[in-house]
Amino acid sequence: MKSESRIDPKIMEEIIRFNKNVLQAPKLVAAPDEIILEVTPHDVVQEIDKSRLLHYKPLTDKQHKTPLLISYALINRYHILDIHPDKSWVRNLLQQGFDVYMLDWGNPTAMDKYLDFDDYINGYLDGAVEYIKNESSVEKISLQGYCTGATLATAYTTLHPESVKNYIATAPVIDGWRDTTVVSNLAKNMDVDKMVDTIGNMPPEFMYYCFSVLKPFEQGIEKYVNFFKNIDNKRFVDSFLRVEKWLSDTPPIPGELFKQWIKDIYQDNLLIQNKMYVNNSHIDLKKIDMPIFTQVAVGDHLVSPECSMPLHYAVGSEDKTLRMYPTGHVGMIASSLSQKKVLPELGQWLLERSEK
Amino acid sequence: MSSKPQALASTGPMRSFAANSKKVATELIEINESLLEFNKFLTEYYKQLAETWNEAQKKVNLKAPEVPQDVEQIEAFKRIWIDIFDNDFTELFDSKKFGENYGKLVSQELELTKHWNNITNVILQSANLPSKEEIDEVYKELHDLKKRVIKLEIEAKKKKVAKNEK
Repeated sequence: MKSESRIDPKIMEEIIRFNKNVLQAPKLVAAPDEIILEVTPHDVVQEIDKSRLLHYKPLTDKQHKTPLLISYALINRYHILDIHPDKSWVRNLLQQGFDVYMLDWGNPTAMDKYLDFDDYINGYLDGAVEYIKNESSVEKISLQGYCTGATLATAYTTLHPESVKNYIATAPVIDGWRDTTVVSNLAKNMDVDKMVDTIGNMPPEFMYYCFSVLKPFEQGIEKYVNFFKNIDNKRFVDSFLRVEKWLSDTPPIPGELFKQWIKDIYQDNLLIQNKMYVNNSHIDLKKIDMPIFTQVAVGDHLVSPECSMPLHYAVGSEDKTLRMYPTGHVGMIASSLSQKKVLPELGQWLLERSEK
Repeated sequence: MSSKPQALASTGPMRSFAANSKKVATELIEINESLLEFNKFLTEYYKQLAETWNEAQKKVNLKAPEVPQDVEQIEAFKRIWIDIFDNDFTELFDSKKFGENYGKLVSQELELTKHWNNITNVILQSANLPSKEEIDEVYKELHDLKKRVIKLEIEAKKKKVAKNEK
């Protein structure tokens, strides 16, 4: 009996094309070392230990007087906020006439295991704020915190409200018990004392594990299938590789800082209950009384909206704005949506509250 | 372990060697015990993954029973497969049972690391090198000193400003 093949020839074509793309990839794709993530020109204006304060060169003739300092997250590095000229958070703000600084926390080594919240908030962050105030001859600056960088910036703002004119919290990690993400489930069950006592700093490998369980099949399979399918699309490949390089660059987190972060935010949830202390100083969210803009991504699977939004309701400010965007954690800061919607709204809000 | 033959061999420079081998042997025995516990949680970890995989595959089979015949059908099948697997695995990773087992698994892994650190410390000390704890003490001391210096610098700065204002 003659068997009839039912395989669509297009399927074979697809398979052959895909295999060809996989074979061609090494010729078409740049090596990670060839990709430079620092897009927008800047100067390193201050270094404290391993932290660096970056000052971006202006892109407009005239700038608004109140400078903006960005406190980036503890996970991965600040490059995502300036990942590509077309998707750069920093560049967009510069084009809107803002004077932008970025705090790079640096790459902690074994000897930094005792660095804690106090060092980051009252040391590096305060050092950066004081430098900017002096340099710009202003008494107050605008401060933006992203993700865990917003946890630090929030604590800073409660302790030094006299230095912050406007506060922007972008996907802030605030209410750990309300966080519905996988990361929070792992954090809640972690013996963090034992971890820090045994291995010191939180190693990047553990962070990679935490990321690998977030949408594992979409991120682990579909993403790479799409990459090989689009290997001829230079723009797509460039953008993909930049983000991949950024994802693979996660510095360790200092042990003591990590310990307090996991305990106070995810396990005991002290920050939102106004029960957190940093070097014996009380972190009272009601002390945030300046204008505050909270940005939340509805599809955020790293910091759920339920974890971020309580900040808006807990602060003492009368001038407060909460915006929700139909995107994810990274999409909110480095996507076409962020360029078209998130940044223009932020710029307008900031402009109305900055010294001209 | 401190038997007579060992004690006899422990004269002079060999004394510390005998004491060290006793410490290393104790650690190795404890490593085996920790390894048993670690394997228990690792087995549960893989069991949870395998069960979730099987359940997700059953759901895919129910939703897409036909073998895809063309490119569009393959795309649709892939979408269904990824969505169901992502949903089911996210549900697992979010669950209490996964979180608890994973926490215990990591804890046992740390226990193993601790024993390995202890063995390393014995070797370091036998070579007259500082142990991990001693290096940690130096790190702590450095950290505290830096803090004190910063505090003093701030105070000095304030005094200077106050003096200039006068």
